[in-house]
Amino acid sequence: MNLTSNVDHLLTQVLAGEVWPPLADRHGYRIDPDGRPFFLPGMGGVTLEVHVGDPATGYAGDHVEPGLSVRHREPGANYALQYLSCIGNRVEVTSGPAKGAAGFVIGQHAYVLVDMDGKDMCQVTVGDQVSIFAVGQGLVLGDHREVVVKNCSPALLAALPGGTTSTGQLEVHVSAVVPPEAIGAGAGMASEYANTDLMGAYQGLGEDLSLGLESLRVGDLVALSDQDHRFGRGYREGWTTIGVISTASCFLYGHGPGPSSIMSGPASAFKIVVDDAANLISFNLEQPRGRS
Amino acid sequence: MSETKVVTVNLLAYLDQGEVGNDPYRVDRDGRPYVSVGDGGTVLGLRLGDNVFDHVGDHAAPGACLVHPNDDAHHALAGLACLGNRVTVRTGDAVGQVGVVLGKRGGGGRVIAVFPQEVLTRLRPGDQVALASCGQGAAAPVAGVTQMNVSPAALSLLGLNLPGDHLTAGVRAMLPSRLVGNGIGRPMAMWDVDLQVDAATEVTRSLCLGDLVAISDLDARTNAGYRRGFMSVGIVVHGASPQPGHGPGVTIILSGPAERFSIRLEGDSHHGLSEERLLSLGKTGG
Repeated sequence: MNLTSNVDHLLTQVLAGEVWPPLADRHGYRIDPDGRPFFLPGMGGVTLEVHVGDPATGYAGDHVEPGLSVRHREPGANYALQYLSCIGNRVEVTSGPAKGAAGFVIGQHAYVLVDMDGKDMCQVTVGDQVSIFAVGQGLVLGDHREVVVKNCSPALLAALPGGTTSTGQLEVHVSAVVPPEAIGAGAGMASEYANTDLMGAYQGLGEDLSLGLESLRVGDLVALSDQDHRFGRGYREGWTTIGVISTASCFLYGHGPGPSSIMSGPASAFKIVVDDAANLISFNLEQPRGRS
Repeated sequence: MSETKVVTVNLLAYLDQGEVGNDPYRVDRDGRPYVSVGDGGTVLGLRLGDNVFDHVGDHAAPGACLVHPNDDAHHALAGLACLGNRVTVRTGDAVGQVGVVLGKRGGGGRVIAVFPQEVLTRLRPGDQVALASCGQGAAAPVAGVTQMNVSPAALSLLGLNLPGDHLTAGVRAMLPSRLVGNGIGRPMAMWDVDLQVDAATEVTRSLCLGDLVAISDLDARTNAGYRRGFMSVGIVVHGASPQPGHGPGVTIILSGPAERFSIRLEGDSHHGLSEERLLSLGKTGG
């Protein structure tokens, strides 16, 4: 998008993070929509086979987090990492055999999620340190003041197809439009943190659970209908939120693949174009050192 | 299940103070900062039957919130407490006084207990109470429907008609599942669901604390989630909230296929659970 914005005034902070282990409790099981117990991999660690552009469903996993799951040990520093990291921010591995490898932030999900080349990723494991060049919070679009932007790096903004239309709307390309019935866990939470789980994408389960979202991909741009995520996440008729799918398969009921929110405003402020290519895989988000 | 007895377990709980972070402000759905009042703790002057939008509050509940300082014991308290359970004060100025559980609310997993107003004024955060928990595991009176968070005695106070394989419930309103916010995806034996409505929302304009509401296409038998053709019925346990994705809270008590329910929309003529009727259970054991 070629838009008037304040990107030249944004600051970059270098934040430290650490690949966090998967966590379980001694009972192990969670419950699927049909009441069946399951024990599956998902959150935490380094999840190797799932990258941007890959399907978001179809894995034997729960809350599958593509790539590296990163947080900080100290609660305050961790909130800084979670709130300030933006989609498209450059990430560098600073310890372990993959030291020097680079990737980029694809979203938040109580961890910052990082995708990178599969060969580099194989060398990363729990405890490895990363640096995130966080920039993007505070971004304002000069000609679209009613649209609140968050979690969106200048690099992602520049790469997004669309822009200001002749009628003054903000044209945004998305691969899917999501109905408000799909909004699951994450409703009511801060929209700079974690993501919004989408129900109705339980591949292989009953038709009565489906909302037609089984073909979502990791990295897809999606439009959430009747959602206002400017100051948290809530239902509001006539508002639209744009998100990027950052997590994959879920079987925990009321949860599912989820978008991190990047834009929110009145539906009338947007021109939504459904475009199958609206996925992070279509954008070159690899950034030179020290840039966003 | 029909011949299986539910057991009563006496629990210890503490009167909650409520907490505010080191920044006093929360942000409302329009981006305005506000100071949260009545989110937990013991709240005076808010009664069953009050409109959920009538007071300046944030998730304010009509009575006292109960907690336990140990996380696991707290989860058990939230999970086992049921509408109608008797609560007896064991320490402090109100020792010996009795209240009754109304419901529970998510996140912090607080249990909400209703007491007479003159008792509430004598309670103090930290006071200990005994809670006679009973109700989880009770077989639903209608096949195919899951019952939770309600004692058998309390169920009889809710005006439900339960002939055979069909359940008739008179409710203030029926809402679509898209209005369910915080609480979706969480275990309904331990959380409530917040309705994403405000004073301008027509369908809940006359919603009061203690009302029954029905939510369509919501399966709340375990976690709450979207399922076409399901119905869930619950009781309104706390008031509105300015936060986006939050609002009046509903503790779910019944959930199952919609064809098992006959929902009678009573609107302005609905009479929710009154303080007098709920407190009557404190005399009989709930």
